[in-house]
Amino acid sequence: MRPVSRWIIYLTLVVALLCHLFPWGGRGIILRPVFMFVVLLYWLLRSPHLCNIGTAWFAGLLVDLATGSLLGQHALSFTLAAFVGVSYQRRLVLFNAWHLMGYVFLIFLLERVLLLLLKLFAGNENPGWHFFLPILTGILLWQSMIFVFGTITRPKSR
Amino acid sequence: MLKGVHQKLEPQQSPAFFVRGASPFSRMMLYSALSIVMMAADARWNYLSTVRQAFIGALHPLEMLANAPSNWVRDTKKYFTAHNQLVQENYLLKQQAFEHQVMLQRLSTIQAENIHLRSLLNGNLPIQPKAILGEISHTGRDPFSNVVVVNRGSSHGIKPGQAVVDSKGVIGQVTRVFPYSSEVTLVIDKQLSIPIQIERNQLRAIAFGEGNNTLDIPYLPANVDIRVGDKLVTSGIDGIYPAGLAVATVTKIQQNPESPFAKIISTPVAEVTNHLQLLLLELPEVKESEIKPHEPEAKETAAKAVEKAPAKQKDKKTHASR
Repeated sequence: MRPVSRWIIYLTLVVALLCHLFPWGGRGIILRPVFMFVVLLYWLLRSPHLCNIGTAWFAGLLVDLATGSLLGQHALSFTLAAFVGVSYQRRLVLFNAWHLMGYVFLIFLLERVLLLLLKLFAGNENPGWHFFLPILTGILLWQSMIFVFGTITRPKSR
Repeated sequence: MLKGVHQKLEPQQSPAFFVRGASPFSRMMLYSALSIVMMAADARWNYLSTVRQAFIGALHPLEMLANAPSNWVRDTKKYFTAHNQLVQENYLLKQQAFEHQVMLQRLSTIQAENIHLRSLLNGNLPIQPKAILGEISHTGRDPFSNVVVVNRGSSHGIKPGQAVVDSKGVIGQVTRVFPYSSEVTLVIDKQLSIPIQIERNQLRAIAFGEGNNTLDIPYLPANVDIRVGDKLVTSGIDGIYPAGLAVATVTKIQQNPESPFAKIISTPVAEVTNHLQLLLLELPEVKESEIKPHEPEAKETAAKAVEKAPAKQKDKKTHASR
């Protein structure tokens, strides 16, 4: 695992924001992954000295502004989920690919549950089970992130 | 130069086992507190609307960049539309225009007659709202909110509170205005209510959005004269929606023996998902302070309106002339 440049991280986060801004329409929108959180979690688990809970908070704020939801909603859910993610970050070296995927799945789930709770408290209607579909597409995006930028777990050869 | 920066930032080559800074817990507490304060500031006091507007304005170039591929696809599709399709469409549109012209001829005489009659009765003349044509740029970035974003904003003279309609009926109301775009909340949203009238018997009521593509008409007695298939049109008493626009059709009526009220469900007629074009109606000349789209008092006025409903024949005139 090579150390990464700070600029690569910011560039990918900007690309993720662009994906949020993309004019999504039709039925497929319920499948849309939370791009920002997937990219963020990857960098958070890989190099937490460059991308940490503060970055998560700021990224969440940008998503809030871009989606027009209550300011701080995504920021809070990203912050809390990133905290759980980063707390076990040092143990990830011992994980294999499947364990890692399960771990990431749980954190995505946590992010969704937190956001759902915040939305319900803010007075939105119950969105139903579709709300959790982005987790699955998020996992796919996660795997492609690993494919492009390299794995987080221990290399196979050792 | 960049390389030097990296070396300063990454004292170790190993992936951050020892460089951790403040503990994650304290960071989490700090940022959570910050976001909770922001949520409160946004939801309770609306302090941050200017921040949001400035951000959306600054984001406009990035948005254009994100929109570019789909616009490009749409334009090329338009270019390659088949010839016979265009001919067919042209034929249909001509036919439609002819029919509408015949109808319009009758409308102008009826309108003249109506104005004359109103002046005989010393009533106020009906308001003729102006409208701005807009296009839906996307159906909201949050798939679970009942919002569409339109490509007309404060630079085109859009104000919050304006009514939005399409060729079939009422879509909703402008709730947030940004420099180059504005956010339209659909009538099915929980926060929106709309004064309606049943076309068949002129019964006035207020419909509330329910989410899930339905409207609810609460506070009507169980024996109310509403049938499935009844058309709901705007009553015009709020001064925002002009009278007579189609809103919804009644799809379901449930009578619960335990409740004195009927549960009346209706679905909106406007086709937000099918069309791109819509009209933003200009607000009538009322004091700004009187128009507040998200008012919790709406429910109270609804209850009052229903209380008055039995005496509707008497006070109808006063309401219409308001």
